Amino acid sequence: MNNVLEVKGLEVVYSTNRGDVQAVRGIDLDVHRGEILGIAGESGSGKSTLAVALLRLLKAPGKVTGGSVMFHPAGRSPVDLLKVHGEELRVLRWSALSYLPQGSMSSLNPVMRVEEQFKDVILEHAPARRDSLGELIPRLLGQVGLEPRVGRMYPHELSGGMKQRVLMAIAVALEPDLVIADEPTTALDVTIQRVILQSLADLRTDFGVTLMVISHDMGVHAQLADRVAVMYEGRLVEVGDVRQVFKDPQDPYTRQLIESIPRLGRKAS
Amino acid sequence: MTAEAPPAVAVDKSQDSAPVSGVRAWLSRHPLAAYAIRRFGLYLIELWGALTIAFFFFRLMPGDPIQTLIQTLQQNYIYNAQASAEIIARYKHEFGLDGNLLTQYLVYMQKLILHGDLGPSLINYPTPAQTVILRSLPWTIGLLGISAVMAWILGVVIGAIAGWRRGKLGSAIATNLSIALSHVPYFFVALILVYVFAYSMGLLPARSAYDSNINPGISFAFIGSVLKYGLLPGLSIVIIGTFSWILSTRMLMIPILGEDYLVYAEAKGLKNSRILTRYALRNCYLPQITAFGISLGFIFNGNVLVEQLFSYPGLGTTLVTAIQQLDFNTILGVTDIAIFSVLTAVLLLDLLLPLLDPRVKYWK
Repeated sequence: MNNVLEVKGLEVVYSTNRGDVQAVRGIDLDVHRGEILGIAGESGSGKSTLAVALLRLLKAPGKVTGGSVMFHPAGRSPVDLLKVHGEELRVLRWSALSYLPQGSMSSLNPVMRVEEQFKDVILEHAPARRDSLGELIPRLLGQVGLEPRVGRMYPHELSGGMKQRVLMAIAVALEPDLVIADEPTTALDVTIQRVILQSLADLRTDFGVTLMVISHDMGVHAQLADRVAVMYEGRLVEVGDVRQVFKDPQDPYTRQLIESIPRLGRKAS
Repeated sequence: MTAEAPPAVAVDKSQDSAPVSGVRAWLSRHPLAAYAIRRFGLYLIELWGALTIAFFFFRLMPGDPIQTLIQTLQQNYIYNAQASAEIIARYKHEFGLDGNLLTQYLVYMQKLILHGDLGPSLINYPTPAQTVILRSLPWTIGLLGISAVMAWILGVVIGAIAGWRRGKLGSAIATNLSIALSHVPYFFVALILVYVFAYSMGLLPARSAYDSNINPGISFAFIGSVLKYGLLPGLSIVIIGTFSWILSTRMLMIPILGEDYLVYAEAKGLKNSRILTRYALRNCYLPQITAFGISLGFIFNGNVLVEQLFSYPGLGTTLVTAIQQLDFNTILGVTDIAIFSVLTAVLLLDLLLPLLDPRVKYWK
């Protein structure tokens, strides 16, 4: 099997003065090249902690206490993401491992033009593309359905949906091996959600990126993912083909999650 | 009201000659100009208000300056014991003290705005107060301006690094030193500096602004002397100023480090130096520009004592001498200059800010 990422026995704790709180408990998970893998689960299930741990953005008091994360970037030797540091980690970032945060968060620098925020990351990792930037940035923006003039704008001039698209365009700017998206559609209204999901699916087709999509929204996984992994209290309770999981959930918690999807004609009681 | 208002009205009138809607349309098409015009109008109102308050406030001062002057003249020239009512009336007129308070105010404002005339200085009579002030103004601008800007730059840079590297030893030292020293008065540091460098070590001069054996002028010797004599008073302002800027910049920096865009910058794999300058510092120095304008008034206050301590021939020394001698035109004049400088500096910074921070809105 051609895996981009192989997670084995990953353990993450948050240290508090009343002892450690275990957020991720021994997760084993493979991410196949070219797939969209959904990570589902309720708030506090550990899915966001998993994402930041994989991205090596975990901050104190969070701490990885065990496991390994083998990463297989194309054309480079495989590395254990938990063991790389400093410069070695920095060069892996974005060109191989990129991040798509929630657009409603202030992930864009408020005092830099959008195009500058493309430029700095592209020039950092692919300085040879300096001359083609003028053509590259509008093309990336076009890929997510934005006009070239958005590049001249500042983040506060963009709507939530536009910010999310800008972040998507930046995420794939260097054709990374793996994009980890943390709640990419949360806090967007449903019509924009739909458009964003479509753009994400298009990005996979156009760029061939592998996507790991964290979302509490089962609807997102149903529309977008090839496979879905369900987390509950820091554990992986079920992993499988998305249609299979929806049709015949093995774990009682997964069944609950699927049943909690709102449907027309069914009132909350 | 009549004094400062006309120019502002005149500016608006000249544009009102076009149809009203035309002006509005023009302003909405040029938001930066609209902002600048409105900000300038506000500046004129502030200036007028502050000058008016200063005028009436100083008229409340007890003591009769004319009596003081006549006594001085009597002592110096063995004058006729009974100064005639005519002479007193003449002096009152010259010093702008005849008529009721409102008349005095109108005359004062008229002279100030139309002729830049602050009235004669009492102790240097008949030299006008503005001449006395202009003699000392360059010294204060040189000393205060350079040290205040230096303190700001040093404090913002060190404070940003201290925030960035919080938890590290160097940062902890800088922070605790700043907490301990940022509110020490300037003159106290000045005293210590004088004791160490001038008195104990004899390295630097403790008094005056330049070596009196050197002729003032554009020469290396004179400029060198000015720098040497300005070092201790300047240093006392720079040291304390830097510490307080370190503290406030660090306080602005730390919440920024928790911002999403810093995590994002890290995820982008940018170099640390770039994240510090383009992401963290770029977002944290902007409020400090506004704070700099506001702080100028306070720095001026502290500067008065520092100048006095070093017998520095600046505005502070002039002000203290004027207060001792009840030289009211000079006192008011120095106050007016201080008001004018601080308000103008804040105006310039406010006009500069929209160019530096894209989020500042030019329009309402």
